[in-house]
Amino acid sequence: MDDTTFLLALSGMLFALGLVGVIVRRNLLVMLMFLELMLNGVILSLVVFTQMLGAEAGAVLVFLVFVVAAAEIAIAVPILLLLVRTGRTLDPGAYAGLKG
Amino acid sequence: MTIETVFLMVFALGSLTGAVAMFFLRHPMRVALALIGTMVSLAAIYAQLGMHVIAVFQVLVYVGAVMVFMIYAIMLLDVRDRSFTERFSPLLVAGLAGLLLLLGVLIDGLLRGQPFPAVDVPPDAFSVSTFAIVFMEQFWVYFALTAVLLLVAEIAASAVIDIRRRGQDVAAVRAERGDDHG
Amino acid sequence: MNGLLTLLVLLPLAGFLVNGLLGRRLGPVFVNVVGVGLPLAAFGVAVWAWRILEAGGGEPLIETVFTWALVGEHVFEVSFYLDRLSAVMALIVTGVGALIHIYSIGYMKGDESYARYFAYLNLFLFFMLLLVLGRSLLVLFVGWEGVGLASYLLIGFWFQDVDKARAGRKAFITNRVGDAGFLLGMFLIFTAVGTLEMDQINEAFAGGLIPVGIATAAGILLFIGATGKSAQIPLHVWLPDAMAGPTPVSALIHAATMVTAGVYLVARMSGVYLEAPAASTLIAVIGLLTAFLAATIALVQTDIKKVLAYSTISQLGFMFLALGVGAYAVAVFHLFTHAFFKAALFLGAGSVIHALNGEQDIRRMGGLSRRIPWTSGTFLVATAAIAGLPPLAGFFSKDEILWFALASGQGGAFWLWLLGSVTAFLTALYMFRLYWLVFLGRSRMAPEVAEHVHESPWPMTSVLVVLAVFSVIAGWFALPQYLAPLLPAPDLRFDWPILHWALIVFAVLVAVAGLVAAGVLYGNGGRRAEAIERRFARLYRVLAGKYYVDEIYERLLQRPWLWISDRVFLRLGDRILLDGSLHGLAALARRGAEVLARVQTGSLHWYAWMTLLGLVAVLIWMWRYV
Repeated sequence: MDDTTFLLALSGMLFALGLVGVIVRRNLLVMLMFLELMLNGVILSLVVFTQMLGAEAGAVLVFLVFVVAAAEIAIAVPILLLLVRTGRTLDPGAYAGLKG
Repeated sequence: MTIETVFLMVFALGSLTGAVAMFFLRHPMRVALALIGTMVSLAAIYAQLGMHVIAVFQVLVYVGAVMVFMIYAIMLLDVRDRSFTERFSPLLVAGLAGLLLLLGVLIDGLLRGQPFPAVDVPPDAFSVSTFAIVFMEQFWVYFALTAVLLLVAEIAASAVIDIRRRGQDVAAVRAERGDDHG
Repeated sequence: MNGLLTLLVLLPLAGFLVNGLLGRRLGPVFVNVVGVGLPLAAFGVAVWAWRILEAGGGEPLIETVFTWALVGEHVFEVSFYLDRLSAVMALIVTGVGALIHIYSIGYMKGDESYARYFAYLNLFLFFMLLLVLGRSLLVLFVGWEGVGLASYLLIGFWFQDVDKARAGRKAFITNRVGDAGFLLGMFLIFTAVGTLEMDQINEAFAGGLIPVGIATAAGILLFIGATGKSAQIPLHVWLPDAMAGPTPVSALIHAATMVTAGVYLVARMSGVYLEAPAASTLIAVIGLLTAFLAATIALVQTDIKKVLAYSTISQLGFMFLALGVGAYAVAVFHLFTHAFFKAALFLGAGSVIHALNGEQDIRRMGGLSRRIPWTSGTFLVATAAIAGLPPLAGFFSKDEILWFALASGQGGAFWLWLLGSVTAFLTALYMFRLYWLVFLGRSRMAPEVAEHVHESPWPMTSVLVVLAVFSVIAGWFALPQYLAPLLPAPDLRFDWPILHWALIVFAVLVAVAGLVAAGVLYGNGGRRAEAIERRFARLYRVLAGKYYVDEIYERLLQRPWLWISDRVFLRLGDRILLDGSLHGLAALARRGAEVLARVQTGSLHWYAWMTLLGLVAVLIWMWRYV
């Protein structure tokens, strides 16, 4: 197994762990952090491919993912603050009524 | 086994450890610290691969901005409720089964995949100066657009909070008056 | 002048639009100015166009308005065609039409839908002019359908009354049957000749290149259309019911103009019928039978307007008799005279109804001649005209028809003349019966009605006087000779002037006999007539039941059709097949949605887990197949 395959496997594992973390953890803040973990897994695979093919566009894409991640967290956290202000809990099960 | 591979192994193990630790730690603050560990390890891997720019921004943006914001939120919302006492959701078993399934499929795909044809990459391809030139010449429009989107998102977030607050004020006034039929 | 015919056609349309859109808001004075002024203007334009036509020596004026459709090499144009025949028709339509518009001012006064009435009446004029002036069968057909529509709207003008609305529907549906024949005839002619311009069709048929079979079929099909519009047997049933409309409408549409459209059609397509002797014979026989049977029914009717309606059917039968024996110009002549005296009769009847505050039953009238002298006088003139007393209008035209029924080389026969003469006698009999029962004798009115009898206002009486004058003089125009270049008289089997004179004397005697018979039977309060009724009770019932044609239609057509509609189309087709399948689909969608809605629990964890499953599925599929 060469380095590339190894790093891609690591990227896949991080992504899978992130997704499953969203499923199994109960705390909303922790779930958000698992989302960040998923993004990190994706970035790792992007970086590996970029390095392998020598394409600058890949690096730019990584940058864009950084920005998107920052935007995501900048919106998600205020929403969370509002939720907790009304519901007084970080348990997503308490907000199941929001399905409409 | 070269020294580079050894370093890669070490940092990979570090990031994986951090990710797994996130599952079991109860307090969100500790989870955040484990995540920071994972991120720093990843940054080290990027540096190892010669992508210094990205490694630097991984630390700057993720650890420096995102996670600091996150920790700020954690400190603000220090609630000890069910989400704190019961770590895992009802879907724990199903989630773990899903983990095995997903990992199996991913590894299966990885093993089946053809090896990539190697491309000659000049050693300074991802140096700061090369990257900066390419970035500012070819991709700045997209980046500017993303920045605008980011700005819009921030405005939207603050607007949401503002509307919500005003609505609460109106509701409070109504409750005081005692004509709560809206 | 160019554009004159277009202007003529568009003037009533403008009246319809203005009155229909604005009339209600701008009040009755405005409605009068527009609704009566524009038909009068149209009459002026028609006279003007006629003078131009005459200045050109009868050379037809052709005006192309626009090209309707271009299909392959065939061009379908909307163009107007004015020759002597359509000029006569246009003058009748606009002239009588304008008079009846004036009359309507008095008759419809105070009706809550005053503007709508005039809008419809103008719409009728527009379509009638389209029918008369169209050069192509296609334009004629548009007008043909249009007058049907206007007729429907005006029969059901007081649609709050269910019976009246139903009468309108009956007229419309009965006419559809005829229209199907018209359309088929049109298609056949187009296949045979390749054009729908009527002058070219006539030329093509006159050229003798079209087989007799096609000419006969086309002639019969077009005649089926004519029987619908002109209320000939077996499609005559709608006209008596059409009397549900306002009386001026009955006068204009259901006596003077629209119902003569069938006569006009056959005269216009005379080129086809000259090549189709069998079709012509059929027309003559149907026309004569209609004339005779309608006259017998008219003898026993008790509604003043129904008597006139059957009289109209009978007179239209006379016109078709003339058409059938090849005397096209004579048919148009009778159409021309009939327009005046029948309009006068209907408007007079309207005046009577107006005076009696809505009473239409002649058994509750009588002795009105002193109370409403103008109406009575004009009615008498028109009655004498339709009965055929010289020197009034009906005498000339009816005499010509009977002469050609006997002497025409194109199907004239003794029995046609004989039955025609009997019908003429019946005509005189039922018309004078009507006059006697309404205007002479003792009053049988209810006292409270009798008190309020009043002569109609001047817009009505003046129109009556004008029409009565024309009922006298209309026969003095030598219309057949005027139209001869266009519609030459048929060859005669025998040209004996003595016989012609003898027939004329005989016809006058017949009319006088009718008058005398009416006087004898009904002069004494109708006691002798009642005795005859009692003796021939069965015959009387058949006549009063109008030969039970409506009932036969109901048995043979209406009930089976209702059954099929109900069982096959409604219950099986609509409720089971259509509704069933649609409701089934809707239920399927609802059940499916109910099942799928359970997936949406509101739990984030559950959603994320579904995402994971989907991701795994995509990955497997990708690695297997991409």
